[in-house]
Order: sequence, then C-alpha cells, then structure tokens
Amino acid sequence: MHTRSAALMAYCDAETSATRSRRIARHLAKCESCRDQLRRIETEKKELSAGAVAPAIGGRRDLAGVLSAMAAWQGGRSWAASELNSRLRRQIETYFGSPAVRVVERPGIRAEELLGETSEMLDVFLGPDAAEAVRDDCLSGLSFAGPAGETCR
Amino acid sequence: MTRETSLDGFESAPRWIVVFLGAYVAVNLFVLYVWSTAGQVFSIQATSGSTSALSVTGMTAVELWLCLVVLRSFPAGAPLRSTWMLLTIAAAARAASGVITEFLGTNGLLNPLVWPEQPKSGLIEQIRYLALIAGGPVRLALLAAAMLAVLRILGKFGFRVRPAIGDWAVSGIVCMFTLARFGEACAASLAGRPIGQEDWISLAGLPILCVLSLEAMLLCRSVARMGHGLVCRGWVALGYGILFTVAGEVALWVLPRYSQTLPLTMFCAFLPPTIASVFALVPAYQLVAQRRAMRPAGSPPEDLPEAVPELAQ
Repeated sequence: MHTRSAALMAYCDAETSATRSRRIARHLAKCESCRDQLRRIETEKKELSAGAVAPAIGGRRDLAGVLSAMAAWQGGRSWAASELNSRLRRQIETYFGSPAVRVVERPGIRAEELLGETSEMLDVFLGPDAAEAVRDDCLSGLSFAGPAGETCR
Repeated sequence: MTRETSLDGFESAPRWIVVFLGAYVAVNLFVLYVWSTAGQVFSIQATSGSTSALSVTGMTAVELWLCLVVLRSFPAGAPLRSTWMLLTIAAAARAASGVITEFLGTNGLLNPLVWPEQPKSGLIEQIRYLALIAGGPVRLALLAAAMLAVLRILGKFGFRVRPAIGDWAVSGIVCMFTLARFGEACAASLAGRPIGQEDWISLAGLPILCVLSLEAMLLCRSVARMGHGLVCRGWVALGYGILFTVAGEVALWVLPRYSQTLPLTMFCAFLPPTIASVFALVPAYQLVAQRRAMRPAGSPPEDLPEAVPELAQ
C-alpha cells in the first residue's frame, strides 16, 4: 500500500503532524515508487513557483474541456460516494454487525459523515492502527480523503 | 500507508482455547469413566482438584498474555485503553493468585517456604489469603470497573440499553443469594461457630458480584444491539464469563446440600476451566478483529469500474 498523492503533498509542504510525517518518512525509506512520486511533486512545485508551467486554459475550447472534466468528476464523485457507503456498510457488518449499520447509517447521511462515524467507532473499539487499516481499505481507489487527510490507493 | 504484513497465530487463538477446553473435558470424562468402572477404589475429589487448578491458572496466564498484546494496540488516551488496562490487571491478579495459592500457599515439596527446617506456616497462610483476596474481590472490582467503562462507551455510540425485567430478576437472584450467604455467616457467628478467613474473602466478593451480574446482563444486551460482528464476540464472552462466575458461585453453595460426590466433583472439575476459557476468549476475539483489520488488502474488488475520471483521481 502506497501513500496517496494528497498525503505526499501535505508531507512535502510540512503540513502533516509529526507522527504522520514519521510514518510517511518510514514508508518512503522503503518504497521506491513513493519516492519517485515525491520527487515529481517537488519538481512540479518548483516549476509552479518559478512560473515555468504554461497556463492550462488558453481559450474557449480549453474551457469546454475543463467543464466536461468537471462534469465527469462530479459523476465519478457520486459513484465514489455510493461505493464508499457500501464499503463502509460491509466493514460495519463485519466488525460490529448488521444492527450497528442501522444505528450508524442515519437517513440522508453523507459518505464523508459515515466515514467519520465509522472511523471513530473502529478507532475506539479496534485501536488506531487497525482503524486506519480498515479506513485505507474503504478508501482504496476512491477520490475521498480520509478524516486525517491521508488515504491509500 | 505501510501495513503489518506478517500475520501470526493470534487469529486462531479462540479456536485453540476451545480445543483446549474440549480436550480437558474429554480427558476428565474419560477419567470419571475409568473411576466408575474401576470400582471407585480411590477418592475422586483427590484427582480433580489439582488438574482443574492447573488448567485454570494456565488459561489465566494465556488470558493475561493476550490482554497484554491487546493493551499494546491502544495508545495512551484511547477510550478503551483504561478498560483493557483493568482487564489486564484483573487477569494478572487471577494468574498471580492461582500461582501463589497452588505453589507458595501450599505445604507441597515444590514450595521453597517449606524447605527450611522450621517451615514458615504463618507466612504461607498469609500469602495464601492475600492471593485469595487478589483473585477474588479485587479481581471482581476490577472487572466491574472495566465493564462500567465499556457500557459508557457503548452508550456513547447509541447502543445504550435500560435494565429490563430479566436483568433485574437475575440481579435480584444474586442479591438474594448474597443475603442468604451473609445470613448464614451471621447465624454461624451467633451460634459461636468460627467463620474461616476464606469464607470472609468469599463473602466480600458477593456484593461486587451483584453489581457485576447487572452489568453483565446490560453488556450482553447492549452488544446484541450492535450485532454479532468480530468486535462484539469478545464483549459477549466477557458478559458470559461474569454470568458463569455468578452461576458457579450459586451452584457451589447449593450443590453440597444435595450431593457430596459425583455431580459436585464433575461441577468443580468442569466449571472453573470453562469460566477461565470464556474469559480468555475476550482478548482472543479482540485480537482476531484487530488482525483481520490489519490483514494486507488483496486485489481491488472486481466491481470497481476502470473508467474513474482522471480528474477524480
């Protein structure tokens, strides 16, 4: 399991907590792929601050491209939310049971809220490490940042 | 994120505990069969006491070890850390009590206190009583505090239950039993019969047992509201461990009035190891849940569409 780009960016900007930074540093020491990713992020950051990257939107066609990408992103996000909900439901059933799903999953609850509540329950009953592992599994391949801002892909 | 990839044998701990208990029961039943077919030439009580005590102490040592492993996974400040700390201390008290009572508190040859020319019998008695206090009222008080903490946390997550008629009934029976035991002790005292220190220690634990029985009923019902998931199994085991302890206390008081031989012997041989095994299942199931969560994730689910928009990544 690799550290996500969002977490690496936060790490690069020194925005992660000391514990998380240590954990990411430990992972980076072992993982070549994440080191490459971190190098890319650092390079892009330098280029952006030096103004070396040309503006992305140059005209009407580019704007249409961005709008269509945004629409696609929104579609993906709603799919991701329902996928995340179903994954969280499965995890609650596994660790607590079906009745617990009914207590936690209130009508109209958003995926982020369900993620937060499930994470809190897992954190309390399983301990932080196990809870983080379950959270990573739920967020794997989805475009959601966990409550701590770090997920896996 | 990095993840622990080496899985150990903790996931099969509950299975091993149940297998051990099954083997113990099978061997004891075989011994009872041999005893009854061999013409009952020796006292059956003499054979069962030491093996039962040894298996209880061994199982409590396993419980202590598993509790320590679980405790390490809850850092300082975690809500359930205090609960696991109390459960670990309770297991330690029980294990220490078992070792001391069966080793330093006896006049056996393995006890170094009986090696000198003038054995320290007074010291042996004192050690024995301290061990009985640690394994009795002290352990029960620790369990009561641990259960209260779990009930509070369950309530915080919406799994609070109010005591029902059944809960009050069970607790009422235990209270009546406690009153009967105290009444019996008072009657003996008024009649001039001495009450042994072991009886006093046992009596001291009874009021705590009343509280524990109510807590155990509430815990079982609260956890039932959650479901039958991996986390729930350990807490259900704790509730049943307490209820078996209460039932054992009541039965050990009632049975000698009706039987002095086989049923009582069987009960004394089978119940303590069963209770010890149920308590050992509490951290064992917790470890199963934790290890399952830490298991490295396999390949992504097949139903994941590949066409997740690039920008969404």
